[in-house]
Amino acid sequence: MTDDVDLDFDADELAMLRQLFRSEAHEALETVTARALASGATRPSADALAEMMRVTHTLKGAAGTVGLPDVVDLSHRLESAIAAVAGLHGAPAPWTSHANDLLIEVIDAIRGYLDRLDQPDREARAGAIRAQIERLTRPASAAAPDAPDMAPPDAPAPPDAPVPEPKTWLRVEPARVDELMSSAGELLFDRTRIERRVELLRTLAKDLARTRQTLHDALDDDARGVGSLRGAVVEAEAELSGQAALLGQTTTALLDEIEALRRTIGELQRGLTRVRMEPARSLMTHAARTLRALRRATGVAVELRTSGEDTELDKAVSEYLIDPITQLLRNAVAHGIEPAEQRRALGKPEIATITIRARQDGNTLVLDVADDGRGIETAKLAERLVATGRWSSSRARLASEADILEALLDTGVSTRGAADELAGRGVGISLVRQTVAKLGGEVRVASQPGKGTTFTLHLPLSAALAQAMLFKVDGQVYAIPSVHVTETTLVDGYAIRHTVRDTQVPVLRLEQLLGHGSAGDRRPAIVVSFAGKTLVCTVDKIIGAREIIIKPLGPLLAPLTLYAGATISGSGKVQLILDPAQLVRRGYPDAGDAVDAIDDPVTSPTVLAGRALVVDDSRAIREAMTSMLGSEGWIVDVAEDGARALQLTRQLRYDLVVTDLEMPGIGGFDLIARLRRDERFKQTPIVIITSRASPEHRRRARDLGVRALVAKPITRRKLLEALSAR
Amino acid sequence: MPELRNVVVFTLGGERYAIELRWVREVVSLGFVTHVPSAPAALGGVCNLHGEILPVLDVNVLLEGARGLPPRQGDGALVIDAQGLVCALRVDQIDHVASLHAAGGEVTDANGRRLRLLEADELIRRALDQVAAEVELRA
Repeated sequence: MTDDVDLDFDADELAMLRQLFRSEAHEALETVTARALASGATRPSADALAEMMRVTHTLKGAAGTVGLPDVVDLSHRLESAIAAVAGLHGAPAPWTSHANDLLIEVIDAIRGYLDRLDQPDREARAGAIRAQIERLTRPASAAAPDAPDMAPPDAPAPPDAPVPEPKTWLRVEPARVDELMSSAGELLFDRTRIERRVELLRTLAKDLARTRQTLHDALDDDARGVGSLRGAVVEAEAELSGQAALLGQTTTALLDEIEALRRTIGELQRGLTRVRMEPARSLMTHAARTLRALRRATGVAVELRTSGEDTELDKAVSEYLIDPITQLLRNAVAHGIEPAEQRRALGKPEIATITIRARQDGNTLVLDVADDGRGIETAKLAERLVATGRWSSSRARLASEADILEALLDTGVSTRGAADELAGRGVGISLVRQTVAKLGGEVRVASQPGKGTTFTLHLPLSAALAQAMLFKVDGQVYAIPSVHVTETTLVDGYAIRHTVRDTQVPVLRLEQLLGHGSAGDRRPAIVVSFAGKTLVCTVDKIIGAREIIIKPLGPLLAPLTLYAGATISGSGKVQLILDPAQLVRRGYPDAGDAVDAIDDPVTSPTVLAGRALVVDDSRAIREAMTSMLGSEGWIVDVAEDGARALQLTRQLRYDLVVTDLEMPGIGGFDLIARLRRDERFKQTPIVIITSRASPEHRRRARDLGVRALVAKPITRRKLLEALSAR
Repeated sequence: MPELRNVVVFTLGGERYAIELRWVREVVSLGFVTHVPSAPAALGGVCNLHGEILPVLDVNVLLEGARGLPPRQGDGALVIDAQGLVCALRVDQIDHVASLHAAGGEVTDANGRRLRLLEADELIRRALDQVAAEVELRA
């Protein structure tokens, strides 16, 4: 059978439809598997059979639509076989304990077939599956396991034809997307409300400035009598009290709206998390399939029981868990479950049971993998710990049961002497712990001798996964989010600039920032780009890109802005994540190269806010400075020359003076010199704005204790840098 | 009038201290301790505790003493929960848990010796202050 079917789709459409079909088919087949597994060794219920038939039938229809006649044929045969078992065509076909296994094998084979539609051996594989389906309805004697003429159903594809990774689709309930949309809509409302309040605050700030100016003018007017002055003050006081009340109300309202915004963001975050959630069922179905393969490989009679299939967990977490669960199942089959005759002798059911239970506990997913085998003989385990040189004999003597079980998780030592093909030497158990630790979870083990062993996995329900570049400095591993890493390179020793794509960028030596040493040798380096700025960070060793889970650092470490968070390695070590924004800031310390800081041992703390005086003969500059400082919370007075400035400073104290140099009459330096003679202005931070900053200017400025010289044109950033501590 | 307090008595740098049991969430043996460059001296490093990031504090530094030994994997530590945050205090040895008479910031042990009674929230406040000061210094 080939694809040469007349269809009304072009190649692209068909590819997309087949992609969708594949995802739908996997889901339908999963349903059949789940039903078959639920029945264990018994005949599936009528309901279960009916559902299997329904989904197989749907599959048949869909396969026809996307032009896959061989899949139509297979689904048809499967549907008929299930119908025969259900007794829809006469007497029900006999059901053997083997039939469920066979059914699952058929489903797996069809799934494998769908994943390799482009392979040349399609026809042969379809043939093999048809033979398998036939065996489903054959009498028990004929259904001997693995007839020799059968091609293995999931034989690997020929090596020269690699299996393409099927694209994965996230299937989401429409209701969950609707919730997200409604939260996003709410965000817009929140924003509008906040903007309106901020607008009101701005108007209020203007009103306040006007009231103050009125008051100021009244005080300034020497000609005014006391009575008239009093009148002006009373009037201003009334205005102020009204403005204060309005300010109070607006602030309260604004806080409420920010709280509402916070809630909406929280809803959005939760909604997004829910979109990624899937039930634990798919993980358990996978486990069932693994156990079936193990049963066939070892002949160990074991059954799987599951509970809590509807417990939801992050798809990413679920995918990560497949390997650890497989490992635990292997471990149970290889080490936990006693041979059948021993079980009989102990009065235990001959068919052993492995139970996987999932449940949610707060923000944690709890997953138990329990067997009813021999349990862990801790004494024997301790002996092996000593025999393999991991423990001293005195330590083994003093260790509690819990210590010994803990050692099992850490070292993976096993009570079995010989290497075991299935579970290795128990090394797998330590891998389980590593994977779970990487997800930010924990593994515990409990054991009752003769009754069984239970591994309990505690996992976060969701995980903030991100790609990061990992590297080593001074023996420790650090991470930088990959989105900000453009490439890696090699940097010469002592180089302070490096050429990246024809551009010279600064070199930040992380071995100095994070460690002690700095040898002058050629080093590997990571090119970091953030907000349009690029820099090269040298490291000791580049480990490579990895998927990591971001953990918050907590309130104590949060102020250390160099770090954006941390992650936990497979071996449980904390690795710090560097914030690219901070690295770039350190790589460009001279970002405001127009700002010359002047070292002044007396005044260095950041100037926060208060009353500022701006002295400049240009009205545009006065306006611009008023607006910039005003938006930072300053109350700003302006003066057009030195004389006016001196007049103002006689009446008022200022927390900051910003002055031009070239002005008519009293110039900038003259003004500063006079202010410094005044006791009240000895320590006041002063910033000079100028179009030319000669060395002579700088020297004079330093002598007068000027905080900074800022070159025109003035920008908000330059101004803020001049005000912040150096 | 001295009151009875339930305390954990521990040794650190040759000194014995007591801390009230109500602050102590668990006693652990530290996992791998990651050094945090640029952190203040009071922060010895961070550890993984049940999948969360646990800061490990140096009590010596918080008590304005000299910097103690850096915390290492396998060291004993008290995990304390105060001021809304969880952190570990590295100790040399846990001596015992006892109900002791407390007065004036000290407790008296069975042998009549007086031990300094540590206040967890005060220690954490100091740690927060040190981090804040460090940040200001570098800003």
